[in-house]
Amino acid sequence: MTFRTCPYEKELTQALKSGHWPKGCGPELRAHVDACGNCSDLVLVTQTFQDAQSESERAALCGSPSLLWWRAQLRRRNAATERVSRPITIAQTFAWVVTVFVGVVFVASQYRHGLQWASWWSELVPPRALHLLLPTLPIGSGQGDTNLLLLISGCGVLALLSALVVYLASEKS
Amino acid sequence: MDSDAFAGFYQRSAPALRAYLARASGNPALADDLMQESYLRFLCASHPEGGEVNYRRYLYRIATNLLRDHWRRPRAACIEDVPERLLAARDGLSRIDSQAILDPALARMRPRERQLLWLAHAEGYSHREISEITGLNAAGIRLLLFRARRKIARLLRKQIDADRRKA
Repeated sequence: MTFRTCPYEKELTQALKSGHWPKGCGPELRAHVDACGNCSDLVLVTQTFQDAQSESERAALCGSPSLLWWRAQLRRRNAATERVSRPITIAQTFAWVVTVFVGVVFVASQYRHGLQWASWWSELVPPRALHLLLPTLPIGSGQGDTNLLLLISGCGVLALLSALVVYLASEKS
Repeated sequence: MDSDAFAGFYQRSAPALRAYLARASGNPALADDLMQESYLRFLCASHPEGGEVNYRRYLYRIATNLLRDHWRRPRAACIEDVPERLLAARDGLSRIDSQAILDPALARMRPRERQLLWLAHAEGYSHREISEITGLNAAGIRLLLFRARRKIARLLRKQIDADRRKA
């Protein structure tokens, strides 16, 4: 198949586009179209497509523009909300990562130093004071007091963190 | 663009866009879906300057990209796997002569050829405009269109001869 352009193609395309073919065209162009394979193809294809298009357009049942407008508004609003909430989500994730990292570092450092702060804590809070808070605790059991104190403070932190997680999850949903 | 301006633009452009999508995809139901999605994306995007002519071209570009995305999906969903008789049965348009000879011919063309032929010969877009809409090279479009036109002209003539013989 050889590709060659006909010198009349542009003129013929314009005439077909503007609806001047065949009556608005000169005898020279019409005679050329009868003789030229490319131009007769162009006329046949363009006229068939134009007829099909006008029939399709007449028969087309398009939906309501107001419904599309409303849906577009909704989509635009959702996209805007998502755009606005993205930095907050990123900040929340970052805060969680930092918290976990600090917790892990703290536990690791304390483990390495043999939980020295626990002895400091047990000195700060005398067993008697602890006994006032928890009457079942026997007075004067040094190491046992410290372990129990650690357990209570651990449970407290865990409860606080759980509450925070529940709060954040419910806020997100 | 406000709601009233959009309603006017929609009334003027929707039938032509729907015809383009239906002929290029060969599937009227898909054309309806893609048309809605095209208008939604058009409304959500920032519009080009230059008035309705440019709006229309931009809309066709969105629709063409959606068609291309559709064709890129797995082969099972490709329109070329659907038998021709199903296309004819699903199309509720009145069967006038031009459509009766065009549909079988279009069904034998590749999706890209259908798209280019419709944009050039039904919509009357220039090669440069088709290049903007489809993202193809303008020189390549010239050659593709030449081949596609020759192919469909041969099919149309065959169809016309067959119809005449039947009559």
